[in-house]
This record gives sequence, structure tokens and C-alpha cells, in this order.
Amino acid sequence: MQNQDGAVADREKESAVSIPISEVDDWANFADDDIMQQQSAIHAEEAKKIPFVGDKYLLCCNLTVLASYLLYAVTLFQGNSLSVVSLSNTNYPMPMKNGWTVFIIFAILITCGIEKFCYMELQEPLSMLAAEYESGSPILLEKIKVLDQQYAAIRRTRGDGNCFFRSFMFSYLEHILESQDRAEVDRIKGNVEECRKTLQSLGHTDFTFEDFFSLFLEQLECVLQGNEDSIRFSPFFSQDELILRSRDQSISDYVVMFFRFVTSGEIRKRSEFFEPFILGLTNATVEQFCKSSVEPMGEESDHVHITALSDALGVPIRVVYLDRSSCDIGGVSVNHHDFLPTSANKSNAKGGSTVPVKPFITLLYRPGHYDILYPK
Amino acid sequence: MKASRARLFKEYKEVQREKTADPDIQLVCDDSNIFKWTALIKVVSKQKNGGKKKIGPSETPYEGGVFQLAFAVPEQYPLQPPQVRFLTKIFHPNVHFKTGEICLDILKNAWSPAWTLQSVCRAIIALMAHPEPDSPLNCDSGNLLRSGDMRGFQSMARMYTRLAAMPKKG
Repeated sequence: MQNQDGAVADREKESAVSIPISEVDDWANFADDDIMQQQSAIHAEEAKKIPFVGDKYLLCCNLTVLASYLLYAVTLFQGNSLSVVSLSNTNYPMPMKNGWTVFIIFAILITCGIEKFCYMELQEPLSMLAAEYESGSPILLEKIKVLDQQYAAIRRTRGDGNCFFRSFMFSYLEHILESQDRAEVDRIKGNVEECRKTLQSLGHTDFTFEDFFSLFLEQLECVLQGNEDSIRFSPFFSQDELILRSRDQSISDYVVMFFRFVTSGEIRKRSEFFEPFILGLTNATVEQFCKSSVEPMGEESDHVHITALSDALGVPIRVVYLDRSSCDIGGVSVNHHDFLPTSANKSNAKGGSTVPVKPFITLLYRPGHYDILYPK
Repeated sequence: MKASRARLFKEYKEVQREKTADPDIQLVCDDSNIFKWTALIKVVSKQKNGGKKKIGPSETPYEGGVFQLAFAVPEQYPLQPPQVRFLTKIFHPNVHFKTGEICLDILKNAWSPAWTLQSVCRAIIALMAHPEPDSPLNCDSGNLLRSGDMRGFQSMARMYTRLAAMPKKG
């Protein structure tokens, strides 16, 4: 296991380095483009070490990843003697000394655009979390024990500043996939239309956000089984498919951006409500805050974002806080906060009754990062 | 790739439709490559209807100039910002004197898909009117402003506007 971990980590490093910063040759005309790209390159390199959304199964996952790499390589390169030779030379599990083979296979895979596999992460039992804090604060360890009693598992998301939105996306779509709650989908679609109108009334040009909206609606349709569209597009839409989509940058980032638009629209629509909170966070006006801290990708989320998104979509969110805030004398307890949408301010009051009181989305907050929690 | 193309096509149609709305910005797409655009931005006098022109520190030294910008749009657009640079030489603290690279937050970490090529042009016009001498790409220009030498800055910038951004007389 140790060996494999090393190999996997190694390959991830290689992937981070070998992913080209830009594929547009024309950019060579820009003499200083390395300077212009530097920040995002570093950002990407750091972030790519962790997948967008983690995996649910703990054991054998590394094996599965590895196996799928090999399988893909074999199926794709049956005709290619180089890769077949290098694959047959490779013992499984892949030994570290075979670094060149690993590199060759990986380089081939990268060029073929299958690199989304390396976005994989694990969904783990909470004991893994405890291991992370082994030498850390005893308060945290106690809290993890408490969490362990209530929650079955954790799914990590990539810490690229979009983790709240990405966790929300996965958690929500997974809930719809499992519950097949058509009423909820119809309800949220109403809210999405509401958000569209909000953005229009705020002066956004339609084409700046419509692609993001339609992509989210498409994902909703796909997770609902029995739907004509979902049968047509993907007859076997499963959790695996959802995970793959959540790791596909062209889908995942678009949905994250959809949430950012929705959040920004809600904050500006109710600017007098959000203003004091925003003033408490920064010195910016509501408009500036949305432009600098909500709409750009990679900007981290705070209470304001969560409240706004929860209100706008009418989806309650529970956030469990794992921090070092000390506890009462009574014993260790883990704080959580439920963000309940204020359905009262929604125009579709009839929708208010269908809003479940108990959040079905639970996120674990550790200072600076959100992951997904699974209740027992 | 497909998404960025579709988005750029929408922007192209919008630009065609709104041509008259922003007469100071002329945004043109390359004939053969939708990922390459150029823009001509005209800096006009603010006191057009105010009769006699006043010379003051608030007045832009780029007035009367027509500046050409080059856009290179990445495949991940609109999730990633376009790369924009001045093709016309300009003396401005936030524009690289040799390469024309522009230091503007919305072209870097503050970018969001809510911006369009057209609104980027507007933001650049705003940057020309309000330079940020504290994060200079052109240190000479930034130093003039930071030391309070408005006259020095204005005359340098005006000279380059005349030399590079105005039609030659005669």
C-alpha cells in the first residue's frame, strides 16, 4: 500500500508539471505571458493535487484507480507497441523503481486527456480524519470522536477556493440521484428561473450567464432517472457517472460558476440585508464584494455566500464546524449551524411548504475548507 | 473549447448589434480565428460641451488618441480571462512600455465570466483615466505620478499619445 501511495503521489506530481499551461500557440506572441500566467499556474499546480470531488470508497480505491489507468492504456494503445511493452513490463502494484515506465504511461494518458482520473480522491471514514490530527490539538481529536458517532463518512473536495460550491453541487445532485425527488427538482427549477430574472434585472447580459444556467439544469435532468432526457443521454446514470461529471472540469467549473452567479444575484437583490454582514467582513460595498469575492472563481466562501445561496435556491444547508473553539464544562460537543432558507421572502410561497426543515446537505467546515459529510 | 466558441459567437453577435451604443469602442474579431480579437478605443474629451477646455490634473493625457488592443482568448474562456495587451505604444503606469501588457485585476484574479470583451474594453478605458501608480508595470511612469510630478507625467504621456496614437498630420 505504501509503495502504491508513493507511486500515485509521484504520478500526481508529474501530472501537475506536465499539464500545459496554455495550448493556444498564438499566446507565444505575448512576450510576458509567463508573468501573466504565473499566478494561475501556481494556483493550478497546488490545487490539482486533490480532485474536485472525492471518492466514496476507502479501501482498494488506489488499486481501482491504478487498474483503470492500466485498462485504459491497454484498450487505447493496443496498436502501440511502446506502451504495450511498457505495460507488460510493469508489475502490479507498480513499483517505484519503474519510474520511467510510470512516467511514460502517464505521459501518454495525459496527452490523451484522461487526466481527469487523477482528480480522484477518497471518501473516507472519519477515523482517517483523526489520523490527520494525530499530533494535533486534543480538542480536535475529541471532536472527531463525537463526529464519528453521528457521521458515517467524509468526502473531500479540492481546496481550490471553490470547495463550498463544489461540495454543495455534489451533495445536492447526489441527494437528487438517491431520492429521485421530482418535486424538489421542480421546486428548485422555479427558484433557478427566479434567479435568472434577478440577474436580468440587475443588468447582466443574458449570454454572460445562460450557459452556466443551462448546464446546471442539464445536470438536474440527468440525475433524475426515468426522465426521457436522462435515458437518451446516459441510460445508466449512476453515482459513478456523477463523480466523473463532478471531476470533469468543463462541467464541474461551470456548475460552480452557476452557483456563483446565483449567489451574487441574491446578495445584490437583497443588498440592504447583506450590507452589514459584508461590511463586517471587508470594507467593500455590496457591489464591490460581489465583483471581487463572489463572482471570480477560486474566491472562498463565507457565511454571506452560504446564506445567499441557501436562500436563493431554497435549499437548507448544515455546516458542522471542526475547529478548536473550546467547549463547555459539560463535555465535548461539535457546533453546527443550519442555514435555513427564508422561504418567506420568496414570491412562490407555495414552495415554502415543500422545503424540508432538516437539511439534507451536510458540510464539514475546517477553517478555510469545506468537505462533504455523510450522516449515519 | 466548444463552450468558449459558442460564447464568443454570442459576444460577436452582441457586438454587431450594439455597434452604435459604444462609439468609442470598436471591437473586431479576426476573420479566421474567433479566439483572436482586436479593439480600437478612442479617448475623447470629457468637456466636449463645456466650451473652453480646461487643462488640469484630472484631464487625461491620452485624449484624442486611438489605441489598439489585442485580445487572445484562451480555450477555457469565459472561465479564464482573455489576455489583452496594447498594440499602440502608451505611457501609463499599469501598462508595460515594451510589451503592452496590462496590469488590471479583472484580467487576473478578479476575472469572472460576467465580464465580456466589450466590458473589458470599458474597464481599460477606465484604467486609462484612473491609473494606479502603486502597482506599476511602467516604473518610470509610476514614479512620476508617485512623486507628484503631474506635469512630467502628463507631458510624457501626451507626447507618446501624439507620436503613437494619433494620425500623422500632412
